[in-house]
Amino acid sequence: MLARSTSARRGGWSGFQRRYAPYIFISPFFILFLVFGLFPILFNAYLSFQQWQPGTGLGAMKFVGLRNYTDNLTDPTFWQSLKNTAVLAVLSGLPQHLIAIPVAFAVAGVLRRMQHLVTAVYFLPYITSIVAISVIFFTLFSWQYGVINAALSALHHLPLIGGLFPADRINWLGEKAYVQPAIALVVIWRYTGWNMLLYLSGLQAIPKELYEAAAVDGATGWQSFRFITLPLLRPIMFVAVTLSLIGGLQLFEEPFILTNGTGGAGQAGLTTIMYMYRTYTSYSDAGVAAAMSWLLFVVIGALTLLNNRLFGRSGLAGRD
Amino acid sequence: MTTVKATDDRPTPQPRTRSRGQVPPLPQLGAYLLIGLGAVLTVAPFYFMFVFATHTRTDIFQLPPPTWFGGNLGENYTHLMERMPFWRNLWNSLYLAVLTTAATLFFCTLAGYAFAMYTFKGREVLFGLVLATLLIPSTLNIVPFALIMQALGWIDQPRALWVPGMASAFGIFLMRQYIGSSIPRELVEAARIDGATEFGIFRRIIVPLTGPAMATLGLVTFVQSWNSFLGPLIIFRSGETYTAPLALRTLQSVANTDWGALMCGVALTVVPLLILFALASRQLIEGLTAGATKG
Amino acid sequence: MRTMLSLTLALTASTLGMAAAQTKTITVSVFPDLDSVVKAALPGFKKLYPNINVKINSLAYADHHTALTTALSTGKGAGDVVAVDFGYIAKFAEGNGLVDLSKAPYNAGQYRPQFVAYTFPQATAPDGRMIAMPTDIGPGSMFYRSDMLKRAGVRATDLNRSWESYIAAGRKVVAANPGSFLIPDAGEAAQIILRTGLGAGEGLYFDRSGKVLVGPDNPRYVRAFTVAKQIRDAKLDARAGAAFSPDWTTAFQKGNLATEFSGAWLVGHMQNWLAKDYSGKWAAQNLPGNTYASWGGSFYAIPQQSQNKAEAWALIKYLTTNPAQQVLAFKTTGAFPALRAAAGDPIFNEGVPYLGGQKARIQWRQAALKIQPLDVNRLDPVAEQIVNDALNTVLDGSKDIRTALTEAQLLITRRAR
Repeated sequence: MLARSTSARRGGWSGFQRRYAPYIFISPFFILFLVFGLFPILFNAYLSFQQWQPGTGLGAMKFVGLRNYTDNLTDPTFWQSLKNTAVLAVLSGLPQHLIAIPVAFAVAGVLRRMQHLVTAVYFLPYITSIVAISVIFFTLFSWQYGVINAALSALHHLPLIGGLFPADRINWLGEKAYVQPAIALVVIWRYTGWNMLLYLSGLQAIPKELYEAAAVDGATGWQSFRFITLPLLRPIMFVAVTLSLIGGLQLFEEPFILTNGTGGAGQAGLTTIMYMYRTYTSYSDAGVAAAMSWLLFVVIGALTLLNNRLFGRSGLAGRD
Repeated sequence: MTTVKATDDRPTPQPRTRSRGQVPPLPQLGAYLLIGLGAVLTVAPFYFMFVFATHTRTDIFQLPPPTWFGGNLGENYTHLMERMPFWRNLWNSLYLAVLTTAATLFFCTLAGYAFAMYTFKGREVLFGLVLATLLIPSTLNIVPFALIMQALGWIDQPRALWVPGMASAFGIFLMRQYIGSSIPRELVEAARIDGATEFGIFRRIIVPLTGPAMATLGLVTFVQSWNSFLGPLIIFRSGETYTAPLALRTLQSVANTDWGALMCGVALTVVPLLILFALASRQLIEGLTAGATKG
Repeated sequence: MRTMLSLTLALTASTLGMAAAQTKTITVSVFPDLDSVVKAALPGFKKLYPNINVKINSLAYADHHTALTTALSTGKGAGDVVAVDFGYIAKFAEGNGLVDLSKAPYNAGQYRPQFVAYTFPQATAPDGRMIAMPTDIGPGSMFYRSDMLKRAGVRATDLNRSWESYIAAGRKVVAANPGSFLIPDAGEAAQIILRTGLGAGEGLYFDRSGKVLVGPDNPRYVRAFTVAKQIRDAKLDARAGAAFSPDWTTAFQKGNLATEFSGAWLVGHMQNWLAKDYSGKWAAQNLPGNTYASWGGSFYAIPQQSQNKAEAWALIKYLTTNPAQQVLAFKTTGAFPALRAAAGDPIFNEGVPYLGGQKARIQWRQAALKIQPLDVNRLDPVAEQIVNDALNTVLDGSKDIRTALTEAQLLITRRAR
């Protein structure tokens, strides 16, 4: 009798808590977001229609309608910064995955006891502070005195393959054509290990039996990579690529520090976020900067949606 | 844990049938070379950071730069201690990072679980909202952020950073992906039939099975909080409350940066991360192996 | 004069009276190396004002100004005394975040004759508010390697007679010293030329009425870009970019540079770490073409939001108008005093050991008096960025001077409204 009523009550409670549990579970995020996330966004939205120099106090705002938006859209530097951002996102994003996937595959394939150590080693750049990174890469990239140019010149003097390497020193951060590759190199260095970690965790989740069965059926290494590994890596690839895409489009720290905030020769390293930051801090034009952040938001949103359509749907399909 | 053992001890007639054995010698050599080359390139700048920490700033900019440890560590350390209460700053960083990480792990796993395992009204829209917050460049939020914190009276207090910090859209995204792809729904259903409460399912089933993803998210959150700069710059107002990166930046002037002391400080800030990583990555690999056998 | 005196006395008395009543703590927000100067000043200051405690908050140069911008825009969080670098003065002059020091009870205008002439106009907003007190200046100087010149048979006066002779003599110096460069970066020459020969009411980029001066028809700009381009094309520069970049630093340390233009403070760096091994080989001369320019300069200001304005002013006055303190600052970091009386200290008549005993400080002191104040505009940072970018496209050969200046003019005009 007692047991029965408890179980009946439980059924009601169970139904109730089951229905509302997900809302309760996600509520902390949304409450915090409302307080700390939404206000800044609304503030920026409001700001994007005002002319305001931070430093003059909140009372000094002046409504200017859509002018901040039209100013950005007719600003050649804004368009150039978008182009730079796109080029840098691809130049620094794609190689990360092209390197991380084979390396993760190799690590998972041939290493056992060393796996732990190797993973740790590849992850080191991710935890290194940007201050150290900047000093080290400045020394490496230096035009007259840099280690990279010294190495290239040594390679140039080798017989046979010497012709493949440039005869003159490359002014990495001082010449338009090399600024983007130099920045991309640092970004790739910094984040490939992070992607490798993601892929490694994805690889580990693929049941070994699948490979064993494929081997019994006489599949080659390439075939099992192509038909087992790649399809099953899709969900994690989706995560990794989405993160790279969003990170790439918001690239700031590396180009900012490597070019001393100027964008480098020909402004080739000026990303949109950098330009926005510059508009806000050195130009003191907060309204235009806020409008720029909304325009960038639209671009990033559109590209992420596209990525979702192209990649995500099939990737997430395996989930349900 | 038992599953881990099961993999390693699984009786195999010959080592050759293991996945390692399947790789023929030549590609195997190629794989080792690839791994080795990548590892050297990855570690080199990191190594130089420690080397530079033991040299004077004159030496650091020599050509070729020093490749082995020098004898100036003591002096760099002394300079560092003269310029700032470094250990105090390091403690501030640790306090902030630990709180941020713990809070983020709990709330993101909870929300990720909700998005992955429940079908509820508005799920897609709400998840879309979470993702949308990832797309907003935070660099511009300096002024509104400062305004909120002033209104709350949280200036100069660590909670101004860790409370908003735990609402991590990335964390929810990662957790939903992981829980959705690696935990079978049947497991949750079975527990429900056994009469477990929803939070009970979360605590007893989801949390133990999300080890690797938690290790990843925990590490990333910790590292980001540890290295973060713009937030602390707005919140902390005095040398005693500065976090380590903020304090170290005070060594960097336009004209007169003591690079030796700075490198020494940077190297010291990385050590706790290294320790944490040594611990977390062990967890990570164990968790990953466990995940691998579940198939 | 008497009213001024009595006002000062009244102010001092009230400050002292307040101080006697209770101990107050004020916060000074600075950036390095000014933090060392303030630290060194505190013992002397405490003797005069035993009841004012001073707390120093130091942040890196750019971070300090970012944090100050945030504090001023939100109305909270700034120090009681804030350091403002020369380049940021116009920006902070725009709003009402900083106290007008020309008004009572500060009446800073009375100190004007005591300071190097160009510093006060620099600290004054277009509407006449004086928002900061100058503390140090950076009179420009051409440093050169006397041993390299000797090897080439070139005299220092050949280098600084005019920009043409600078380039001609420079070619000889570089030819006679293989592996050397005449100058770290060709852009430096352009920056100096842009800062000299300004007409009345002209600023660097804008005139007093806000008209954009940058353009292909302004001879000052054409000449600046042309000279820089000539230096670059003659392969005379090390393309080291900004001062204190790693390339710049290494070029100094390796002794590969024949000349450098900079503020007098550079000697301290060369002596301590930058070019330790070349003591006695470097010497100083005036800039080429009889030009005078300044490299940097710092100011102190009081934010409106400060609750301790009287104490803050006491400290600022001590830091800027006390000759002994200004001399101490010079000894501490090499910050050249903005206060003229301080520059009369015997130490400025002594030879500089690093420069082979040359009495260079006399030369700098005179140069400081000849520097013209530049009209500042709040859009200077925008224009500076755009002009520097244009200069770089000219130097790397991707655009000709006319095109680059026409485009720069358009870009600046867009922003100037």
